[in-house]
Amino acid sequence: MMRRIFLWLAILCVVGLAWGLRLRALEQLPIDYDEDDYLGAAIHYAQALRERDLAEIINYDYNYEHPPLTKLAYGLAILPLTPASPIIERPSSAPIVSSLPEPHFQTARKLSIILGTLQVLVLALIDPLAGLLLAINTWQIKYTSQIMLEPLPSLTSILAVILYIKSGRRWNVWLFLSTLALGITVAAKFPYGIVGVAIAVHWLMEEYPAQERLKGLKLIRWLAPVAGFAILAAITFFATNPRLWTDPLSRLGAAITFHGDYATSDYVRGAGLPPWQPFVWLFQSVPWHPGVFLVSMDVLITLMAILGYKQMWERQRVFALWLVIALGFLLVWPTKWPQYILILTVPLSLASAYGFRASIWQPLVNWIKRDKHHTRARIAGSPLKIGWQELRKALPWLIPGLVVLGFITVYPMVFQGAMALTDFGSSAIRDGLSGGVWRETWKGFSGQVEPVTAAFFQRSMSKEVHYAGTTLLRQLIGGAAADYLVFGILWTFLAIASQTALGVSVALLLDRAGVLFKGWWRAIYILPWAIPEFVGGLMWAQIFDPRFGWFNQAGKTWYETADYPGAANFITQWQSNPTYALLVLLITATWCGFPFMMLAASAGLKLIPVDLHDAAEIDGAGGWKKFRFVIWPLLVPLLLPAVIIRAIFSFNQFYLFLVLEPPFPLATFSVTSFFFFDQLGQYGASAAINIFTILVLIALILWFNQWSKAAEGYTYA
Amino acid sequence: MRKILWWQQMVYQLLLLAVGLFALLPVWGMLRIALDGAIKGAPTEFRLWPEEFTLAVFQHVWENPSQTLSIPGLLKNSMIVAGGAAIFSVVFGASMAYAFARFRFPGRKTGLFALLVGAMLPPVALMTPLYVLLSALGLRTSLLGLMIVYAAFSMVFCIWSMRASFQAVPLELEEASYLDGATHWVTFLKVSLPLALPSIAVAALLAFLLGYTEFAIGWLFVESSDNVTMAMAVSGMMRQSGAEWGNLSALALLMSIPVVIIFMILYRYLMRGMLAGRLED
Repeated sequence: MMRRIFLWLAILCVVGLAWGLRLRALEQLPIDYDEDDYLGAAIHYAQALRERDLAEIINYDYNYEHPPLTKLAYGLAILPLTPASPIIERPSSAPIVSSLPEPHFQTARKLSIILGTLQVLVLALIDPLAGLLLAINTWQIKYTSQIMLEPLPSLTSILAVILYIKSGRRWNVWLFLSTLALGITVAAKFPYGIVGVAIAVHWLMEEYPAQERLKGLKLIRWLAPVAGFAILAAITFFATNPRLWTDPLSRLGAAITFHGDYATSDYVRGAGLPPWQPFVWLFQSVPWHPGVFLVSMDVLITLMAILGYKQMWERQRVFALWLVIALGFLLVWPTKWPQYILILTVPLSLASAYGFRASIWQPLVNWIKRDKHHTRARIAGSPLKIGWQELRKALPWLIPGLVVLGFITVYPMVFQGAMALTDFGSSAIRDGLSGGVWRETWKGFSGQVEPVTAAFFQRSMSKEVHYAGTTLLRQLIGGAAADYLVFGILWTFLAIASQTALGVSVALLLDRAGVLFKGWWRAIYILPWAIPEFVGGLMWAQIFDPRFGWFNQAGKTWYETADYPGAANFITQWQSNPTYALLVLLITATWCGFPFMMLAASAGLKLIPVDLHDAAEIDGAGGWKKFRFVIWPLLVPLLLPAVIIRAIFSFNQFYLFLVLEPPFPLATFSVTSFFFFDQLGQYGASAAINIFTILVLIALILWFNQWSKAAEGYTYA
Repeated sequence: MRKILWWQQMVYQLLLLAVGLFALLPVWGMLRIALDGAIKGAPTEFRLWPEEFTLAVFQHVWENPSQTLSIPGLLKNSMIVAGGAAIFSVVFGASMAYAFARFRFPGRKTGLFALLVGAMLPPVALMTPLYVLLSALGLRTSLLGLMIVYAAFSMVFCIWSMRASFQAVPLELEEASYLDGATHWVTFLKVSLPLALPSIAVAALLAFLLGYTEFAIGWLFVESSDNVTMAMAVSGMMRQSGAEWGNLSALALLMSIPVVIIFMILYRYLMRGMLAGRLED
């Protein structure tokens, strides 16, 4: 009973918080792109509703690329108000308008926050913590407090999933309601239909008849219910989409064609957002409206979602599928506007809730319990004395190293920490060299001065160093470096994956008995390892050079005569196109890194007993099966240290980037810090980035959690 | 021994050849530019083989590496800076590594973790404060200053790997030495150090390579043209607009040759160490 009351109280608090935050955003957010379009359409629809002019509703074609349902809803919301004068229609790339008719603007926004808060309520009913995380997500707040298309489909998409779960895939009223919600979702905004894909995939996965061949009737019996579900949803979609009531196919076609064309238009391409941009949005809070959102924990929400995903996969499979399918869609779809991530904030929040409970709450509880245990043990026996004796013995051995390290690394690190708290830049170099950094941090810590604001890309022109407090570090944690953080993680992952794949493959080839010239091949493969990284980078830069490089000279005649612009674009534009540049970097990094992985894998393969190969073959395991189920599981633990070392090496990769000079945002933290120091002369910002790098590295090392093992191989990286 | 069929052998050799071409492609790309006397500026047409095979470019670069110093001078600076940093790291770190390998003092685990984090830091993470601190001391632009910087980059990592090599020394040997009445210090000098010396040498070599191939931070710190190192000379030529591709390639290859030789000699040893390190726990 008490539990129930607490639960309801928690849900109430979450909803209250969601409402408050959205109300605040409603009042404080400036007019944004597109709000004039949707309000304009709403005013038009309100007029038509008032005049009971159905034909006008059906045939109104402004903003035809989006189905009318959400705009109609806004029209209904402002219907009771005095009619507003129509808003001039403008192209979607026009600048933001300065004013919109009141009170229509406020009223329409109010509908948004009602829908947005309802969405939080629905999620909180399944999981109050997930509801809380959705309530404080700044992207969610922003786009459900403005006149956008997002609030309605956000709400109905989660309803569709929950009703589907509740139905238990039986043909009951819940399932019908679910098709209804799904139809409305698609009629409110197309991309949210991704949730329908997730439901369908889940359904098919759950009902997949194990150990039977799918043929004829069985196949139909498996697919038919899902098809029926889809048909019902489609009926709702057409019913709630008045624009399709006449000439449905060509109008639907026009809307979809528009999105296809828009996605590949120069306007979208000109934004220069890399394919992984959705991750960048997820790894930061809304950067454009400081002070509106009160909490900005979006980075943490995303990180926790990564940690909690596995658990969500086991407990809430539909949501897990939703997250992964939506993410896949966002990565593939060329248009990368930030509001698109709202199609996955619900499963993201749920995954994050699992992550919070498993990675923060549980360890905390365990730690508190264990700590009590420890104190008791310490009082009982006293190993402390022995410890001191050991320390006395060890101290003379430690002292030389400690003293030297103290001078050349520890003190610089502490000094760097102080630098990160200032606006130290190249104009203040004289002051900084004569003790300005310590003076200012001391003043700041003792409360003698108020921190000044410091910002990245904005060098202080003052001739003196000033205390800036934690502004720079807080900006970094809040997502100021999201571009680099996301790229860094992506880079680490891709680089290590390609190096390991090639390295292990080569090691397996060389491990086969009877292959000729093994020694020769191995000697050749080791060469890239022996060549200094930056010389290797230079070699590839010469080959890929857009004008004089081998590839361009070899391919020029071919792609000019065969009229194949793709290859030509790749060679000539990779220095400015993030995707192409990433590919070039990956090729180079694979070249530099695969020998090490090959050697590590070869060494590991030698440790796998030969009997196992034979046993597997007697059991009838062929090449792939033998590798997958016999060799790979044994190889992974042996390979892991090398993988971790290379991963951290990739995360810190520096010289390769300096030589190949890829475009923004392709840079690791090292490169970024160096850039701020060398090019921009922002010493404080450079120090702050370094401190942040160290924090991320510590987190990564703790996460790998294998650090004693990882360390062994490090000697030879 | 299972035999493989001839067509399997063919497939394997083709696959290995593909990887081999991938490994050699950029090396040959650079080498053929350096060996071609006909290239003026950048290569203008596609060629697999030098048009005018010659070693003149190497000779030209050897005499004129487009710095005020000649190649021997550049190499001398590299040796001072990188060799000094390696020796410095090993000499001042050895006893600490030994302490971490053999004593169980309180704070050891924290210390190990700090060492691990320190060993995995990128050099840039130390560059920022060292620039300011060494400038304040007036050491920044000197070779000694650069040596200290490179030592700071590699010392933690050296301590970490030397700890592993000391740990690999069999404890029984040290105990036997104690039984003969030797002190810790004598045991260290006469038993542990000689046995661990090969792997310590490897750690020192890797520290040396870190300094030998470093250029970006070097250019940031050094101002006088007398203090330029070999790697800095290569990157200096790289930054020059309109530099001859042949000269740049030749210089980069000249710089890499010692490193390649060291690696080719050491690679068996590195692999053995890698396995030993793994089996140790």
